[in-house]
Amino acid sequence: MIKEIRENREAAAEVCRKAYADTQALQPKLNAVITFIDPEEQLASLPAEGLLRGVPVAVKDNCCTKGILTTAGSAILRDFVPPYDSTIVENLKKEGAVMICKTSMDELAMGGANTTAFTGPVHNPWDENRIPGGSSGGSVALVAAGAVPMAIGSDTGDSIRKPAAWCGVIGVKPTYGLISRYGCVPYASSLDTLGVITRSVEDACIALQAVAGRDSRDMTSADVEIPDYLANLNSDMHGKKLAVLGNVMDGLLNDNVRKVFNGIVEKLKERGAQVDVVYFDQKIMRAVLPAYYAIANAEASSNNADLDGMRFGVREPGETTEDIMMNTRTKNFNKMIRRRFTIGAFALDGENQEKILGKAKKVRRLICREINGCLEEYDAILAPTDGDIAPRFDDPGADPLSDYNLVTGGHLDLENFNGSPSMSVPMGFDQGCPLGISISAKPFDEITMFNVAKAVEEITGLKGLTAEVK
Amino acid sequence: MDKNQEKEYLLSLARSLMFDFPGEEADWIVKEFETIRKQLAVLDEVDTEGVEEATWPFEDETTYMRKDEVTDVLTQEEALMNAKETLAGHIVIPRVVK
Repeated sequence: MIKEIRENREAAAEVCRKAYADTQALQPKLNAVITFIDPEEQLASLPAEGLLRGVPVAVKDNCCTKGILTTAGSAILRDFVPPYDSTIVENLKKEGAVMICKTSMDELAMGGANTTAFTGPVHNPWDENRIPGGSSGGSVALVAAGAVPMAIGSDTGDSIRKPAAWCGVIGVKPTYGLISRYGCVPYASSLDTLGVITRSVEDACIALQAVAGRDSRDMTSADVEIPDYLANLNSDMHGKKLAVLGNVMDGLLNDNVRKVFNGIVEKLKERGAQVDVVYFDQKIMRAVLPAYYAIANAEASSNNADLDGMRFGVREPGETTEDIMMNTRTKNFNKMIRRRFTIGAFALDGENQEKILGKAKKVRRLICREINGCLEEYDAILAPTDGDIAPRFDDPGADPLSDYNLVTGGHLDLENFNGSPSMSVPMGFDQGCPLGISISAKPFDEITMFNVAKAVEEITGLKGLTAEVK
Repeated sequence: MDKNQEKEYLLSLARSLMFDFPGEEADWIVKEFETIRKQLAVLDEVDTEGVEEATWPFEDETTYMRKDEVTDVLTQEEALMNAKETLAGHIVIPRVVK
């Protein structure tokens, strides 16, 4: 779809205006947008060429946009207008993309439901009573509803991939460092990864190539050449060795998820792939989510210390400097975000720094050994992206200590810990709502990940899947 | 640690981060930590004897010395655009020293 829009140069303005109008029309149903951006000024100054020339794009609101409100979904940043563009926005502009909105997200990207933005919850385009998933829920919902062919998201634990699965779109978390984080409001710097959301694998290839690349302003930016992913796309599975993560399968409670997933695995075998079920150490797998809680929240509590009404953010009144900070942070952070910061402070408090945070970092090394060891033997790792369809807003959630929650629900953190590229591709439906399959590959081997994804897309026939918003 | 001690402890952590859990939120965060402590204890089930901590996904060097050249300059107007109060090109902040 991106290629068609780019090549039909006369229609670009019409396409972008329609996307802008469609996005506005969807707002009462989805509440996916924090700030609309009139495309006319951008249309008047499009570059002559570009991978995304004339393509309407939705951008997650944690990416700084010069002169345009950037809130990261937080009330504390509700009046912050950046004086500069993030690198990913610079790259979008350079390639001719037309930004039509900044999308809703869980506050400061800390959440999996998209219910904590100061602008209210985002609704799933397939069923308004269900969450879209988070934290990139606004971006994912707009792509799923067909308003835009492409959106930008960020993924620290699963924040692109899980909502992508729950809304039936392609969600790509590339290798850590492949896309610059410069100008992106941070959550947890050792895990934060920007990525792309589309409705076809081909579009994901183009979108990633457009925004990836070395940037000296991000100290973790990878110094690698970005290949032409689309030119390398090849769905031939002969000779491919694929691993199915048995720990995730064993924790499944929804038999239809297992059935749909296994059906795809059988088709991949018919196409020539060797598929084996592999198991990681179950104790390590159960510790993935707890390690994530300790590490991500410790980093977040430090990263966001500057949101205090003095250096950044709105300022609440107070007698002293301390009062101002206390009032500002108490009033303008959702209690769920204060909860996360408190977990971070707990992991950093006194001897806990060794007992909890240090322990979590050691577990991280063991997690990396498990997944990297597997990827030495296999080209890609497959698993259901999540164990079920999107929950309803009032769903009480799973037993927090169950394998279902810790392993089947938490396995996407694996690729944030080791940095591997990982994506979710629509694989089928349950109760009329979409399900996703997760595909991960060796760090910097996006080509293999996309190739397996292309084979899956051909098997399911779900390329271009779009929700009809009622 | 009993519930009151836990509440005081968690509120002290919150206040060290310059926020509070006012009213009923104080009891809520205590309840939340019952589960959080159990989840973090799952880490102890993993034998990490002799394992070094890992902080980043990769340990390759990605930062290099660059030439001392001026880049990415903000104008004064841009630098002050988010300041709550300005005076003669400076940002005015609430009084810190009494």
